Amino acid sequence: MSVVFRLEAPYRGEYALHRLTFGGNGPAAVAMVAGLHGNEVNGIQALNLVAGMLRVMRPKRPVHLLPCVNSIGADEARKRWPFDDRDINAAFPGDPEGAPVERIAAAVMDATDAELCIDVHSGATTVREHPHARVPLSGPELEHARAMMLPVVWRRRGDRYEGGLVGAWRGAGREALQVRGGRGLALDMDDATTLARGLVRLLAHLGLISHQDTGTPSHDTDHVQDYRSMAGGFFVPEVQTGERVVSGKLLGLVRNPLGGEPIEEIRAHKAGMVLAVRVYPMVHAQELVVRIAEDAT
Amino acid sequence: MSERLEEICSIELPTGESVGVHRRRFTGGLGPHVAIVAGIRGDTPEGTRVAHAVARHLSTHHERLCGTVDVYPCVNPLAAHHGARHWPGFDLDLNRRFPGRADGHAPDRVARTLLDATRAADMVIELRGAHPAFREETQAHVRHDQPVALERALRANVRVVWRRSAELQGTGTLAAELPGLICLEGGVGNRLTDGVGLELCDGVLNLLVVAGVLPEDALPFHWAAIQRPLVATDEDIVRVRATRGGLFLPSGRMWGEVEVGTPLGEVVDPIAGETLEMITAPVAGRVLAMREQPVVYPGSLVARLVAT
Repeated sequence: MSVVFRLEAPYRGEYALHRLTFGGNGPAAVAMVAGLHGNEVNGIQALNLVAGMLRVMRPKRPVHLLPCVNSIGADEARKRWPFDDRDINAAFPGDPEGAPVERIAAAVMDATDAELCIDVHSGATTVREHPHARVPLSGPELEHARAMMLPVVWRRRGDRYEGGLVGAWRGAGREALQVRGGRGLALDMDDATTLARGLVRLLAHLGLISHQDTGTPSHDTDHVQDYRSMAGGFFVPEVQTGERVVSGKLLGLVRNPLGGEPIEEIRAHKAGMVLAVRVYPMVHAQELVVRIAEDAT
Repeated sequence: MSERLEEICSIELPTGESVGVHRRRFTGGLGPHVAIVAGIRGDTPEGTRVAHAVARHLSTHHERLCGTVDVYPCVNPLAAHHGARHWPGFDLDLNRRFPGRADGHAPDRVARTLLDATRAADMVIELRGAHPAFREETQAHVRHDQPVALERALRANVRVVWRRSAELQGTGTLAAELPGLICLEGGVGNRLTDGVGLELCDGVLNLLVVAGVLPEDALPFHWAAIQRPLVATDEDIVRVRATRGGLFLPSGRMWGEVEVGTPLGEVVDPIAGETLEMITAPVAGRVLAMREQPVVYPGSLVARLVAT
C-alpha cells in the first residue's frame, strides 16, 4: 500500500489517498476506485474483498485499488467531502492547484492511469440497488461488463457519461465503467460480495489472474423504467431487489403515514428484474420508489 | 393597481402537509414585467431580506407602478427553514436543477414552475447571499455576451459588475437558463450584514427605474447616490488560495486597495500556533471577497481580488 497524495488537514494531521497495487511491473492494466462518496461503504467492502483475493492470486500485470477516496467523509458517514460539503465526483478531472476536492480529483486521475478503470458506487441512502454495471450501448466496456456477470448490465446512451470520474476517464482516452450495488450508509454484504466476485471475474477474463468462477449471464438491457409515486406518503414495497416481476405485478403501496390507508398502488408495466427499491419509506410525490430493468422485447 | 400574494407551487410532504412557494405580485397597468427571485438556496437570508425591503417600498408606491413586479422572497422554503444550502431530504442543490421538470419531484417541479413564471419577464434579478465561508462585497454578475444586462447592472448600486463566461455560471442554474439575468450578491452567507441589505435594496429599486417600472421620483434616494461599479471580466478576478492547511487569519480589509505583496492574512498551525504561510496579494487591485470561516486546506480559497 502506498500513499499517492497527501493534503494537510487542519486539526487532524493529513488526508492521505491510499493505493494498493497488486501484480508485476509495467503499465497498470486495471484501476478500481471506491469511496468517492464517503458513505457508500459497499464499494469499499467490495474492493477490500477484491484485495483479499489479489493477495493470493498475484495478477500478471499491475492492478490498482483505491478503496476509500473520501476517507474523511467515510469517517463521518457523509457522502461529500466534509470540509466544504463538495462532491468529489463532481470535481473531475480536477486541478492540482485548485480547491481541495479538485486536488483530490486530480490525484485520483493520476493514480488510476490504467487501460481499464472502474468506479464502484452504492445507491443513495434511501434506495437499495441490485448489483449492476452501467456501460455505453456498445464497445469494449460492454464486453467487460458482460464478463463480470453481475446480475444486470444497463446499457446507456453515451451522453449519460458527461460528468464524474467515469466521464473524466473516458475523456482521457481510457476505457471506463461504473458498477453499483447496495445502498448508502449501510453494508449490504450480499451486494458487496456480488460486486467483488464480478470484478474478480473480469480480471480473469482479461487474463490477469487464473480463476474459475461460474456465473449466470447478466440481465442485459437498455430499457430501464423508473416508477415514481404520484403522491407523497409512506411507501411499503412488495418486491425486493433482484426479484423477477411480470407485467401487472404489485411493486408496492403508498400509504397514508398517519393511519395507513392506501393512497396508490404501483404495478409493473412490463416484465423484468427489480433493479432498485426505495428502502426509506417516507416518499415525496414523483420520487423514485422502484426501478425495473425490463426484459428485451 | 394591485398587490397580491400568490402561491405558484405547493410542495406536498409525505406526511400530508404542504408548503407553498409564493410570490408577491405588484401590478400597476401596462408596462414591463420584472421578476425578483431570492432564496433559491436556503442559506441566503440576505436575498430574502432585500426582496421584502423592495416589496415594502412597492407596497407604498404601487400606484406609481407602470408594469408588473413579481417578488419571490424564498423559493426554497424547506431549506431556508433550517438555513441549509440544499433542499432537505433530497439533498439537492436547487440551483443545479434548472430547467426542472413539470412532472418531476418537488425540487424539479419548483425549478420548472419558477422558470416558466420568469422566462418571459423583461428583466430578472436574482438575489443571492455569499457562500457561508466568505464575506463578499456587493457585486452583480451578468453574462459576458449580454450588453443590455451589463448596461443595467452598472446601475445596480454594487461595487463590481462581473461579466462572467457562460461556462463559469455552471449548468443547471437559473442564470444558465435566463441569459439576461442579473445576479446580485454580497454580505456573508447565512447571515444578515449591516449595510449590504440597504445597498442591494437601493440597487434593485434603481433597476426598476431603469426598466421603466418605477418613476425616478419614487426612489427613496437621489439617483446620484448610486455607486459606480468597476467592470471586471473573468480574467480580472484573481483567486488567492492557501498553500498550507491550518487557520487562516485575515488581515486584508474588504474593498481595500492592495498592491503586489500587500499582506492578506496568514495561515497558522491550529494547535501550535506558528505561522505556516503569509499570504499576500499577487496583483494590484481591490479585495472583493475574504474568507470568514478560518479553517483552510491547501488550495482553499482565502480571498478574491479584482485586478485594477
